[in-house]
Amino acid sequence: MAKGKYRTLVKLLILAPYLILLYILQATVFTRVTLMGVKPLLLPMAVAGVAMFFGRTDGGVFGLFAGMLMDLSYNQATVQFTLLLTLLGILLGMLSDTVLVQGFPSFLVSALLGLFLVSAYQALSLVVLRGAPLRLTAAIGLRQSLYSLIFTIPVYYISRFLCRVMGAGRGI
Amino acid sequence: MKELFSKKGLYIVGAAAAVAVIAAVSVALSAGNAGFASLLSEPFFKPIKSAMTSLVDSMEHIYDTMYRFDETQAENRELRARVAQLEQEYREYTEISEENERLRNLLGFAERHEDMSMEPVTVLSWTASNYASSFTVSKGSSAGIALYDPVVDEYGFLVGQVTSVTATSSVVTTLIDTTTSLGALLYENGETGVACGDYDLFGSRKLKVSYISDMSSAVIGGTVVTSGSGGIYPAGLVIGTVSGISVSSSGLDPYAVVEPSTDLSALSHVYVITDFAVSE
Repeated sequence: MAKGKYRTLVKLLILAPYLILLYILQATVFTRVTLMGVKPLLLPMAVAGVAMFFGRTDGGVFGLFAGMLMDLSYNQATVQFTLLLTLLGILLGMLSDTVLVQGFPSFLVSALLGLFLVSAYQALSLVVLRGAPLRLTAAIGLRQSLYSLIFTIPVYYISRFLCRVMGAGRGI
Repeated sequence: MKELFSKKGLYIVGAAAAVAVIAAVSVALSAGNAGFASLLSEPFFKPIKSAMTSLVDSMEHIYDTMYRFDETQAENRELRARVAQLEQEYREYTEISEENERLRNLLGFAERHEDMSMEPVTVLSWTASNYASSFTVSKGSSAGIALYDPVVDEYGFLVGQVTSVTATSSVVTTLIDTTTSLGALLYENGETGVACGDYDLFGSRKLKVSYISDMSSAVIGGTVVTSGSGGIYPAGLVIGTVSGISVSSSGLDPYAVVEPSTDLSALSHVYVITDFAVSE
Protein backbone atom coordinates (compact mmCIF):
# COMPACT_ATOMS: atom_id res chain seq x y z
CA MET A 1 0.00 0.00 0.00
CA ALA A 2 2.85 2.31 0.94
CA LYS A 3 4.51 1.47 -2.36
CA GLY A 4 1.31 2.31 -4.23
CA LYS A 5 1.03 5.67 -2.50
CA TYR A 6 4.66 6.39 -3.22
CA ARG A 7 4.18 5.62 -6.91
CA THR A 8 1.13 7.90 -7.07
CA LEU A 9 3.08 10.69 -5.43
CA VAL A 10 5.98 10.28 -7.85
CA LYS A 11 3.55 10.24 -10.78
CA LEU A 12 2.00 13.45 -9.50
CA LEU A 13 5.41 15.08 -9.04
CA ILE A 14 6.41 14.14 -12.59
CA LEU A 15 3.21 14.74 -14.51
CA ALA A 16 2.03 17.93 -12.78
CA PRO A 17 5.04 20.07 -13.81
CA TYR A 18 4.83 18.59 -17.33
CA LEU A 19 1.18 19.59 -17.57
CA ILE A 20 1.83 23.07 -16.20
CA LEU A 21 4.72 23.59 -18.58
CA LEU A 22 2.57 22.63 -21.57
CA TYR A 23 -0.25 24.87 -20.33
CA ILE A 24 2.11 27.83 -20.00
CA LEU A 25 3.48 27.19 -23.48
CA GLN A 26 0.01 26.89 -24.99
CA ALA A 27 -1.47 29.86 -23.13
CA THR A 28 1.40 32.30 -23.45
CA VAL A 29 4.13 31.50 -25.97
CA PHE A 30 2.08 29.84 -28.71
CA THR A 31 -0.75 32.39 -28.57
CA ARG A 32 1.77 34.64 -30.31
CA VAL A 33 3.46 32.08 -32.53
CA THR A 34 0.86 31.49 -35.19
CA LEU A 35 1.16 29.56 -38.43
CA MET A 36 -1.42 29.80 -41.22
CA GLY A 37 -3.28 32.16 -38.84
CA VAL A 38 -3.76 29.54 -36.12
CA LYS A 39 -2.22 28.50 -32.81
CA PRO A 40 -1.26 24.92 -31.95
CA LEU A 41 -3.00 22.68 -29.40
CA LEU A 42 -0.50 20.98 -27.12
CA LEU A 43 -2.69 19.68 -24.31
CA PRO A 44 -4.74 17.13 -26.31
CA MET A 45 -1.49 15.64 -27.62
CA ALA A 46 -0.08 15.45 -24.11
CA VAL A 47 -3.23 13.60 -23.04
CA ALA A 48 -2.66 11.15 -25.91
CA GLY A 49 0.94 10.64 -24.77
CA VAL A 50 0.08 10.03 -21.13
CA ALA A 51 -2.83 7.75 -22.06
CA MET A 52 -0.53 5.68 -24.27
CA PHE A 53 2.31 5.29 -21.81
CA PHE A 54 0.49 5.34 -18.47
CA GLY A 55 -2.85 3.74 -19.31
CA ARG A 56 -6.52 4.67 -19.20
CA THR A 57 -6.75 5.69 -15.53
CA ASP A 58 -3.81 8.04 -15.58
CA GLY A 59 -4.85 9.20 -19.05
CA GLY A 60 -8.29 10.08 -17.71
CA VAL A 61 -6.95 11.92 -14.66
CA PHE A 62 -4.37 13.77 -16.75
CA GLY A 63 -7.12 14.58 -19.27
CA LEU A 64 -9.29 15.99 -16.50
CA PHE A 65 -6.65 18.48 -15.37
CA ALA A 66 -5.47 19.19 -18.92
CA GLY A 67 -9.08 19.95 -19.86
CA MET A 68 -9.48 22.31 -16.92
CA LEU A 69 -6.37 24.19 -17.94
CA MET A 70 -7.50 24.23 -21.57
CA ASP A 71 -10.81 25.80 -20.56
CA LEU A 72 -8.78 28.33 -18.62
CA SER A 73 -6.54 29.09 -21.59
CA TYR A 74 -9.61 29.65 -23.75
CA ASN A 75 -10.86 32.39 -21.38
CA GLN A 76 -14.10 30.54 -20.90
CA ALA A 77 -15.97 29.63 -17.75
CA THR A 78 -17.33 26.35 -19.14
CA VAL A 79 -16.16 22.78 -18.55
CA GLN A 80 -16.43 21.55 -22.11
CA PHE A 81 -12.76 20.71 -22.52
CA THR A 82 -12.58 19.32 -19.00
CA LEU A 83 -15.13 16.72 -20.04
CA LEU A 84 -13.79 16.25 -23.54
CA LEU A 85 -10.15 15.69 -22.58
CA THR A 86 -11.08 13.39 -19.69
CA LEU A 87 -13.04 11.22 -22.11
CA LEU A 88 -10.21 11.46 -24.61
CA GLY A 89 -7.67 10.29 -22.01
CA ILE A 90 -9.81 7.31 -21.07
CA LEU A 91 -10.60 6.42 -24.70
CA LEU A 92 -7.00 6.63 -25.92
CA GLY A 93 -5.81 4.78 -22.82
CA MET A 94 -8.24 1.98 -23.60
CA LEU A 95 -7.10 1.85 -27.20
CA SER A 96 -3.51 1.73 -26.03
CA ASP A 97 -4.31 -1.00 -23.53
CA THR A 98 -6.08 -3.14 -26.10
CA VAL A 99 -5.42 -2.31 -29.73
CA LEU A 100 -2.51 0.06 -30.22
CA VAL A 101 1.10 -1.05 -29.96
CA GLN A 102 3.25 1.39 -28.04
CA GLY A 103 5.45 3.35 -30.40
CA PHE A 104 5.54 6.51 -32.43
CA PRO A 105 3.15 5.42 -35.22
CA SER A 106 0.50 4.53 -32.64
CA PHE A 107 1.10 7.79 -30.82
CA LEU A 108 0.73 9.69 -34.09
CA VAL A 109 -2.60 8.01 -34.70
CA SER A 110 -3.71 8.75 -31.11
CA ALA A 111 -2.59 12.37 -31.31
CA LEU A 112 -4.33 12.82 -34.67
CA LEU A 113 -7.48 11.28 -33.29
CA GLY A 114 -7.35 13.57 -30.25
CA LEU A 115 -6.70 16.68 -32.29
CA PHE A 116 -9.42 15.90 -34.81
CA LEU A 117 -11.91 15.12 -32.06
CA VAL A 118 -11.21 18.43 -30.33
CA SER A 119 -11.30 20.36 -33.61
CA ALA A 120 -14.49 18.62 -34.72
CA TYR A 121 -16.11 19.37 -31.38
CA GLN A 122 -15.11 23.05 -31.60
CA ALA A 123 -16.25 23.42 -35.20
CA LEU A 124 -19.55 21.61 -34.77
CA SER A 125 -20.44 23.39 -31.52
CA LEU A 126 -19.97 26.73 -33.27
CA VAL A 127 -22.08 25.55 -36.21
CA VAL A 128 -24.85 24.32 -33.95
CA LEU A 129 -24.81 27.03 -31.31
CA ARG A 130 -23.89 30.11 -33.31
CA GLY A 131 -24.78 29.18 -36.86
CA ALA A 132 -21.18 29.51 -37.99
CA PRO A 133 -20.45 28.17 -41.51
CA LEU A 134 -19.09 24.60 -41.29
CA ARG A 135 -16.71 25.18 -44.20
CA LEU A 136 -14.87 27.92 -42.34
CA THR A 137 -14.84 26.39 -38.88
CA ALA A 138 -13.68 23.05 -40.33
CA ALA A 139 -10.89 24.82 -42.22
CA ILE A 140 -9.68 26.44 -39.00
CA GLY A 141 -9.88 23.07 -37.23
CA LEU A 142 -7.87 21.38 -39.97
CA ARG A 143 -5.20 24.07 -39.89
CA GLN A 144 -4.85 23.93 -36.11
CA SER A 145 -4.58 20.13 -36.20
CA LEU A 146 -1.91 20.24 -38.90
CA TYR A 147 0.08 22.90 -37.07
CA SER A 148 -0.16 20.94 -33.81
CA LEU A 149 1.20 17.82 -35.51
CA ILE A 150 4.62 19.49 -35.60
CA PHE A 151 4.78 18.97 -31.85
CA THR A 152 4.02 15.25 -31.88
CA ILE A 153 7.71 14.33 -31.90
CA PRO A 154 8.75 16.28 -28.76
CA VAL A 155 5.54 15.36 -26.94
CA TYR A 156 6.02 11.66 -27.78
CA TYR A 157 9.61 11.54 -26.59
CA ILE A 158 8.90 13.55 -23.44
CA SER A 159 5.96 11.26 -22.57
CA ARG A 160 8.12 8.19 -23.17
CA PHE A 161 10.95 9.66 -21.12
CA LEU A 162 8.61 10.44 -18.21
CA CYS A 163 7.25 6.92 -18.38
CA ARG A 164 10.77 5.50 -18.20
CA VAL A 165 11.68 7.79 -15.32
CA MET A 166 8.62 6.48 -13.53
CA GLY A 167 9.52 2.94 -14.43
CA ALA A 168 5.87 2.65 -15.30
CA GLY A 169 4.93 -0.94 -15.78
CA ARG A 170 3.50 -0.83 -19.27
CA GLY A 171 6.23 -2.76 -20.98
CA ILE A 172 8.45 0.20 -21.79
CA MET B 1 92.77 31.97 -10.35
CA LYS B 2 95.73 29.77 -10.68
CA GLU B 3 94.92 29.20 -14.35
CA LEU B 4 94.36 32.90 -14.91
CA PHE B 5 97.94 33.77 -14.01
CA SER B 6 99.41 31.01 -16.09
CA LYS B 7 101.11 31.87 -19.38
CA LYS B 8 98.00 31.28 -21.43
CA GLY B 9 96.02 33.43 -19.02
CA LEU B 10 98.52 36.28 -19.37
CA TYR B 11 98.05 36.21 -23.16
CA ILE B 12 94.30 36.53 -22.74
CA VAL B 13 94.62 39.43 -20.30
CA GLY B 14 97.06 41.10 -22.65
CA ALA B 15 94.75 40.69 -25.63
CA ALA B 16 91.83 42.11 -23.64
CA ALA B 17 93.91 45.08 -22.55
CA ALA B 18 94.94 45.72 -26.15
CA VAL B 19 91.31 45.65 -27.29
CA ALA B 20 90.40 48.02 -24.47
CA VAL B 21 93.15 50.42 -25.39
CA ILE B 22 92.13 50.38 -29.09
CA ALA B 23 88.50 50.97 -28.10
CA ALA B 24 89.45 53.85 -25.79
CA VAL B 25 91.58 55.47 -28.49
CA SER B 26 88.80 54.98 -31.02
CA VAL B 27 86.23 56.64 -28.76
CA ALA B 28 88.62 59.49 -27.99
CA LEU B 29 89.24 60.13 -31.70
CA SER B 30 85.64 59.80 -32.87
CA ALA B 31 84.42 62.70 -30.66
CA GLY B 32 80.79 61.64 -30.46
CA ASN B 33 80.54 59.77 -33.77
CA ALA B 34 80.24 56.00 -34.01
CA GLY B 35 83.72 54.75 -33.45
CA PHE B 36 85.68 51.99 -35.00
CA ALA B 37 84.71 49.55 -32.27
CA SER B 38 81.08 50.37 -32.69
CA LEU B 39 81.28 49.89 -36.41
CA LEU B 40 82.90 46.56 -35.90
CA SER B 41 80.61 45.32 -33.15
CA GLU B 42 77.28 46.65 -34.45
CA PRO B 43 76.50 44.00 -37.12
CA PHE B 44 77.35 41.29 -34.64
CA PHE B 45 75.58 42.59 -31.55
CA LYS B 46 72.52 44.25 -33.10
CA PRO B 47 70.49 41.06 -33.74
CA ILE B 48 71.50 39.71 -30.34
CA LYS B 49 70.52 42.95 -28.62
CA SER B 50 67.29 43.05 -30.54
CA ALA B 51 66.48 39.46 -29.62
CA MET B 52 67.36 40.08 -25.98
CA THR B 53 65.21 43.21 -25.86
CA SER B 54 62.33 41.32 -27.35
CA LEU B 55 62.82 38.51 -24.85
CA VAL B 56 62.97 40.90 -21.93
CA ASP B 57 59.87 42.70 -23.17
CA SER B 58 58.03 39.40 -23.38
CA MET B 59 59.18 38.40 -19.90
CA GLU B 60 58.13 41.76 -18.58
CA HIS B 61 54.72 41.42 -20.25
CA ILE B 62 54.24 37.95 -18.75
CA TYR B 63 55.33 39.24 -15.36
CA ASP B 64 52.95 42.22 -15.66
CA THR B 65 50.11 39.96 -16.69
CA MET B 66 50.75 37.65 -13.76
CA TYR B 67 51.29 40.44 -11.34
CA ARG B 68 48.23 42.39 -12.46
CA PHE B 69 45.92 39.41 -13.11
CA ASP B 70 43.92 39.90 -9.95
CA GLU B 71 43.71 43.59 -10.61
CA THR B 72 42.55 43.01 -14.20
CA GLN B 73 40.05 40.42 -13.09
CA ALA B 74 38.62 42.80 -10.52
CA GLU B 75 38.44 45.52 -13.13
CA ASN B 76 36.72 43.11 -15.52
CA ARG B 77 34.15 42.22 -12.86
CA GLU B 78 33.54 45.87 -12.19
CA LEU B 79 33.10 46.62 -15.89
CA ARG B 80 30.71 43.70 -16.33
CA ALA B 81 28.65 44.95 -13.41
CA ARG B 82 28.67 48.41 -14.93
CA VAL B 83 27.55 47.06 -18.32
CA ALA B 84 24.75 45.11 -16.65
CA GLN B 85 23.70 48.22 -14.76
CA LEU B 86 23.73 50.31 -17.95
CA GLU B 87 21.72 47.66 -19.77
CA GLN B 88 19.20 47.66 -16.95
CA GLU B 89 19.04 51.45 -17.03
CA TYR B 90 18.59 51.33 -20.80
CA ARG B 91 15.73 48.84 -20.46
CA GLU B 92 14.09 51.00 -17.82
CA TYR B 93 14.60 54.05 -19.97
CA THR B 94 13.03 52.30 -22.96
CA GLU B 95 10.07 51.18 -20.86
CA ILE B 96 9.60 54.65 -19.39
CA SER B 97 9.96 56.18 -22.83
CA GLU B 98 7.31 53.84 -24.27
CA GLU B 99 5.00 54.45 -21.33
CA ASN B 100 5.54 58.17 -21.71
CA GLU B 101 4.57 57.99 -25.37
CA ARG B 102 1.48 55.94 -24.55
CA LEU B 103 0.43 58.40 -21.86
CA ARG B 104 1.01 61.37 -24.16
CA ASN B 105 -1.16 59.74 -26.79
CA LEU B 106 -3.78 58.93 -24.19
CA LEU B 107 -3.64 62.46 -22.85
CA GLY B 108 -4.43 63.75 -26.32
CA PHE B 109 -7.34 61.34 -26.57
CA ALA B 110 -8.54 62.12 -23.03
CA GLU B 111 -8.39 65.85 -23.72
CA ARG B 112 -10.65 65.36 -26.71
CA HIS B 113 -13.05 63.22 -24.65
CA GLU B 114 -13.31 64.83 -21.25
CA ASP B 115 -16.62 63.08 -20.65
CA MET B 116 -14.91 59.69 -20.37
CA SER B 117 -13.37 57.96 -17.36
CA MET B 118 -10.65 55.50 -18.23
CA GLU B 119 -8.87 52.74 -16.38
CA PRO B 120 -5.43 51.72 -17.67
CA VAL B 121 -4.90 47.96 -17.71
CA THR B 122 -2.17 45.59 -18.84
CA VAL B 123 -2.75 42.72 -21.25
CA LEU B 124 -1.90 39.50 -19.40
CA SER B 125 -2.61 36.73 -21.88
CA TRP B 126 -4.43 35.99 -25.10
CA THR B 127 -6.88 33.18 -25.61
CA ALA B 128 -5.42 29.97 -27.00
CA SER B 129 -8.55 29.44 -29.09
CA ASN B 130 -8.40 29.72 -32.86
CA TYR B 131 -12.11 30.51 -33.01
CA ALA B 132 -12.09 33.57 -30.77
CA SER B 133 -10.13 36.75 -30.22
CA SER B 134 -9.97 37.79 -26.59
CA PHE B 135 -7.44 38.55 -23.92
CA THR B 136 -7.26 38.82 -20.16
CA VAL B 137 -6.36 42.13 -18.52
CA SER B 138 -4.90 42.94 -15.15
CA LYS B 139 -7.86 44.65 -13.46
CA GLY B 140 -11.43 43.74 -12.65
CA SER B 141 -14.49 44.94 -10.82
CA SER B 142 -12.45 46.18 -7.85
CA ALA B 143 -10.98 48.82 -10.20
CA GLY B 144 -14.45 49.87 -11.36
CA ILE B 145 -14.51 47.77 -14.52
CA ALA B 146 -17.92 46.41 -15.45
CA LEU B 147 -19.31 44.02 -18.03
CA TYR B 148 -19.56 45.46 -21.59
CA ASP B 149 -17.28 48.40 -20.87
CA PRO B 150 -15.62 49.51 -24.13
CA VAL B 151 -11.85 49.16 -24.42
CA VAL B 152 -9.56 51.41 -26.45
CA ASP B 153 -5.83 51.67 -27.08
CA GLU B 154 -3.73 54.73 -26.26
CA TYR B 155 -4.76 56.44 -29.50
CA GLY B 156 -8.44 55.99 -28.70
CA PHE B 157 -8.90 53.32 -31.39
CA LEU B 158 -11.53 50.79 -30.42
CA VAL B 159 -10.13 47.43 -29.28
CA GLY B 160 -13.26 45.65 -28.05
CA GLN B 161 -15.36 45.30 -24.96
CA VAL B 162 -15.24 43.61 -21.57
CA THR B 163 -17.13 40.32 -21.72
CA SER B 164 -16.22 38.77 -18.39
CA VAL B 165 -15.21 40.30 -15.07
CA THR B 166 -13.81 39.00 -11.81
CA ALA B 167 -12.62 41.12 -8.90
CA THR B 168 -9.04 41.24 -10.12
CA SER B 169 -9.13 40.53 -13.84
CA SER B 170 -11.34 40.89 -16.91
CA VAL B 171 -11.65 39.31 -20.31
CA VAL B 172 -11.77 41.66 -23.29
CA THR B 173 -13.29 40.36 -26.53
CA THR B 174 -11.83 42.19 -29.50
CA LEU B 175 -13.79 43.75 -32.31
CA ILE B 176 -12.80 41.03 -34.82
CA ASP B 177 -14.30 38.25 -32.68
CA THR B 178 -17.31 36.66 -34.34
CA THR B 179 -19.51 37.45 -31.32
CA THR B 180 -18.83 41.18 -31.59
CA SER B 181 -21.58 43.36 -32.99
CA LEU B 182 -21.86 47.14 -32.68
CA GLY B 183 -23.36 50.15 -34.37
CA ALA B 184 -20.99 51.69 -36.93
CA LEU B 185 -20.94 54.87 -38.94
CA LEU B 186 -19.13 55.54 -42.19
CA TYR B 187 -17.57 58.83 -41.23
CA GLU B 188 -17.27 60.32 -44.74
CA ASN B 189 -20.90 59.99 -45.75
CA GLY B 190 -22.80 59.40 -42.52
CA GLU B 191 -24.15 55.98 -43.54
CA THR B 192 -24.80 53.68 -40.60
CA GLY B 193 -24.46 49.92 -40.38
CA VAL B 194 -23.55 47.07 -38.05
CA ALA B 195 -19.91 46.18 -37.52
CA CYS B 196 -19.32 42.55 -36.62
CA GLY B 197 -16.69 39.85 -36.69
CA ASP B 198 -16.81 37.27 -39.45
CA TYR B 199 -15.23 33.81 -39.81
CA ASP B 200 -14.20 34.61 -43.38
CA LEU B 201 -12.28 37.68 -42.25
CA PHE B 202 -11.18 36.42 -38.85
CA GLY B 203 -7.91 34.93 -40.09
CA SER B 204 -6.90 38.22 -41.72
CA ARG B 205 -7.82 40.17 -38.54
CA LYS B 206 -10.58 42.17 -40.18
CA LEU B 207 -14.28 42.69 -39.57
CA LYS B 208 -17.22 43.69 -41.70
CA VAL B 209 -19.87 46.40 -41.70
CA SER B 210 -23.22 45.14 -42.95
CA TYR B 211 -26.68 46.64 -43.43
CA ILE B 212 -25.44 49.83 -45.04
CA SER B 213 -28.39 51.20 -46.97
CA ASP B 214 -26.27 52.67 -49.78
CA MET B 215 -23.20 50.46 -50.18
CA SER B 216 -22.10 52.38 -53.28
CA SER B 217 -21.35 55.33 -51.04
CA ALA B 218 -18.77 53.37 -49.05
CA VAL B 219 -15.32 54.78 -49.79
CA ILE B 220 -12.24 52.58 -49.82
CA GLY B 221 -9.93 54.06 -47.21
CA GLY B 222 -12.83 55.76 -45.49
CA THR B 223 -12.99 55.84 -41.70
CA VAL B 224 -15.48 53.77 -39.75
CA VAL B 225 -16.42 54.98 -36.26
CA THR B 226 -18.84 53.86 -33.57
CA SER B 227 -22.31 55.28 -34.04
CA GLY B 228 -23.07 55.29 -30.32
CA SER B 229 -26.44 53.67 -30.89
CA GLY B 230 -27.43 51.34 -28.07
CA GLY B 231 -25.42 53.28 -25.52
CA ILE B 232 -22.80 50.58 -24.98
CA TYR B 233 -20.06 52.32 -26.96
CA PRO B 234 -19.49 56.09 -27.00
CA ALA B 235 -20.06 57.68 -30.40
CA GLY B 236 -17.06 58.58 -32.52
CA LEU B 237 -14.51 55.94 -31.47
CA VAL B 238 -12.47 54.94 -34.49
CA ILE B 239 -13.04 51.30 -35.49
CA GLY B 240 -10.91 51.19 -38.63
CA THR B 241 -10.78 51.94 -42.33
CA VAL B 242 -12.70 50.42 -45.21
CA SER B 243 -10.34 48.15 -47.13
CA GLY B 244 -12.82 46.70 -49.60
CA ILE B 245 -16.38 45.89 -50.52
CA SER B 246 -17.50 42.28 -50.62
CA VAL B 247 -20.64 40.24 -50.75
CA SER B 248 -21.86 37.34 -48.61
CA SER B 249 -21.70 33.76 -49.92
CA SER B 250 -25.42 33.95 -50.72
CA GLY B 251 -24.62 36.88 -52.99
CA LEU B 252 -27.40 38.94 -51.48
CA ASP B 253 -25.74 40.91 -48.70
CA PRO B 254 -22.97 43.31 -49.60
CA TYR B 255 -20.70 44.47 -46.83
CA ALA B 256 -17.70 46.69 -46.28
CA VAL B 257 -14.52 44.98 -45.15
CA VAL B 258 -12.89 46.98 -42.37
CA GLU B 259 -9.32 46.82 -41.18
CA PRO B 260 -9.12 47.78 -37.49
CA SER B 261 -7.07 50.88 -36.73
CA THR B 262 -5.69 49.32 -33.58
CA ASP B 263 -2.84 46.86 -34.00
CA LEU B 264 -4.21 43.82 -32.20
CA SER B 265 -0.94 41.93 -32.43
CA ALA B 266 0.96 44.64 -30.57
CA LEU B 267 -1.32 45.43 -27.64
CA SER B 268 0.37 45.50 -24.27
CA HIS B 269 -1.58 48.22 -22.47
CA VAL B 270 -5.20 49.18 -23.11
CA TYR B 271 -7.73 51.50 -21.47
CA VAL B 272 -11.17 50.49 -20.27
CA ILE B 273 -13.76 53.25 -20.58
CA THR B 274 -15.58 52.90 -17.30
CA ASP B 275 -17.89 55.85 -17.80
CA PHE B 276 -18.92 58.19 -20.61
CA ALA B 277 -21.70 60.59 -21.53
CA VAL B 278 -24.25 58.84 -23.74
CA SER B 279 -25.18 60.88 -26.83
CA GLU B 280 -27.87 59.28 -28.94
